Amino acid sequence: MSELQVDSRELEGVTLLYPKGFVNAHTVRLFESEIQRALDEQRYRLVVNCSELTYIASAGLGALMGVIEEVRHHGGDIRLADLNETVRNIFEILGFHHLYRIFPSEVEAILSFREEGEGGGSMG
Amino acid sequence: MTAPRGPAPLILQVPSRTEFLAVVRDVTRSWAMVAGFDRGDADQIALAVDEAVTNVIEHAYGGATDEVVELRYEDRGDDLRVDVVDHGRTVDPKTVPRVDLDRYASERRKGGLGVHLMGKIMDSVTFRRSGRRNVCCLVRRKPDGAPDAP
Repeated sequence: MSELQVDSRELEGVTLLYPKGFVNAHTVRLFESEIQRALDEQRYRLVVNCSELTYIASAGLGALMGVIEEVRHHGGDIRLADLNETVRNIFEILGFHHLYRIFPSEVEAILSFREEGEGGGSMG
Repeated sequence: MTAPRGPAPLILQVPSRTEFLAVVRDVTRSWAMVAGFDRGDADQIALAVDEAVTNVIEHAYGGATDEVVELRYEDRGDDLRVDVVDHGRTVDPKTVPRVDLDRYASERRKGGLGVHLMGKIMDSVTFRRSGRRNVCCLVRRKPDGAPDAP
């Protein structure tokens, strides 16, 4: 198995990213490029489904932080779903859970955008 | 008579290539669990060491892939100590800006989180120059009830 694979799909105007493996200094470019691809297509409603993300180091957290201002400036957001205990702990250690909305499931993360109406992000 | 000591240190040398971070992580996590940390704490310690080695590769060695990073793991009974050693450029940790998460995103920064994370996870993180080597020393106390070194 490769160290990181990132699949993506669109659902209800939300771009879903599925990192599978780990994000660290070795794999972060792939993670960054998948996020950037969404932004290049002006998709600013992102959900990172972390169900198969085994761990994330500061390089990956930096990738999220590096674009969050741009995403929110365009009325969108990056939301996270289905974090395992290891990943959730890392977020909490750094205080990222105050900066990013975290949901138990992908469905809840998607619905959170719908509940906000049509105010932000492009519809896919 | 000397006080009883823990097991002999574990010494690991890895090439200065990011693909070996996974090896570092696996070894560190296994070693921490043998020393009595639970899986969650062992994962955190492995992350801190991953960050230290990443810093060496990216900053001390400037991305050069033909160097060596040495890790020395020691179970000292009450705590675990990991020395991450390189012979690259000395990076003064004081020059790494402190991370203020409220301002971090607006400053569009990406770096500095690793040192911040190491400090949050470990009880002590120190940097020193020893001869021609840089040594980053990471220490984490064992939780109450964890077994002392055999």
